[in-house]
Amino acid sequence: MVQIYNDYKDHADFLTVYVREAHPTDEWQMKSNVKDDVCYAQPKNLGQRVAIANDFIKRFHYPIAFGIDDINNAAEAAYSAWPERLYIIDESGHIAYRGGMGPFHYDPDEVRAWLAARYGAVKHDPPAPASAAPVASLGSPI
Amino acid sequence: MTHIWKWTIAVFVVLLLAAFLVLCKMAGSPKDVYGMVRYAFPHMHRGTLKVGDDAPDARLVALDGSDRFHIRERTGGRPLVMIFGSYT
Repeated sequence: MVQIYNDYKDHADFLTVYVREAHPTDEWQMKSNVKDDVCYAQPKNLGQRVAIANDFIKRFHYPIAFGIDDINNAAEAAYSAWPERLYIIDESGHIAYRGGMGPFHYDPDEVRAWLAARYGAVKHDPPAPASAAPVASLGSPI
Repeated sequence: MTHIWKWTIAVFVVLLLAAFLVLCKMAGSPKDVYGMVRYAFPHMHRGTLKVGDDAPDARLVALDGSDRFHIRERTGGRPLVMIFGSYT
């Protein structure tokens, strides 16, 4: 999504909405979380959620605008967004794109296709060989 | 009659085992199946929003932990791409 943001930030606004943790240590922790040193308990208050969100921003120098869902999970409920989901809201405040439920139907390429249909495709050079450094990707596996 | 019950139970057990194996394949391991059923399924909802619906509003908190803003404040003028997710 960061690449899509960089390609289309002159045409569209982007907002990351941080929701309840998908794989906290005290619920369903995945092996990949341990391997990547992403080990956090499910926040019990807003301050804990804010702290984890800030850790993410700092680790990956995440550039996209950020909003954190309050501990009552109102935004997550309104958008059925857990564990991850993509939406596009058009200029008139209506839903223009509603992504599938993550993780299996979370598809940034669909967002790219929507933006490309409006503003034109942005081509890139073939990617360089994978480096050891992790790439920022909220929600989806790094 | 007992014969029918035995077959019914046997079919039920086979179906349950098949479902468990499918979930293991999806989740990765029996431990992950438990995690998925116990913690993920209760929170996963398809939802009822459709393209064309009014985008719901909600109040969000800024990274400083104190400032607040509404999603609606970020709409209008240009499309808004919303990325929902978490670090883990």
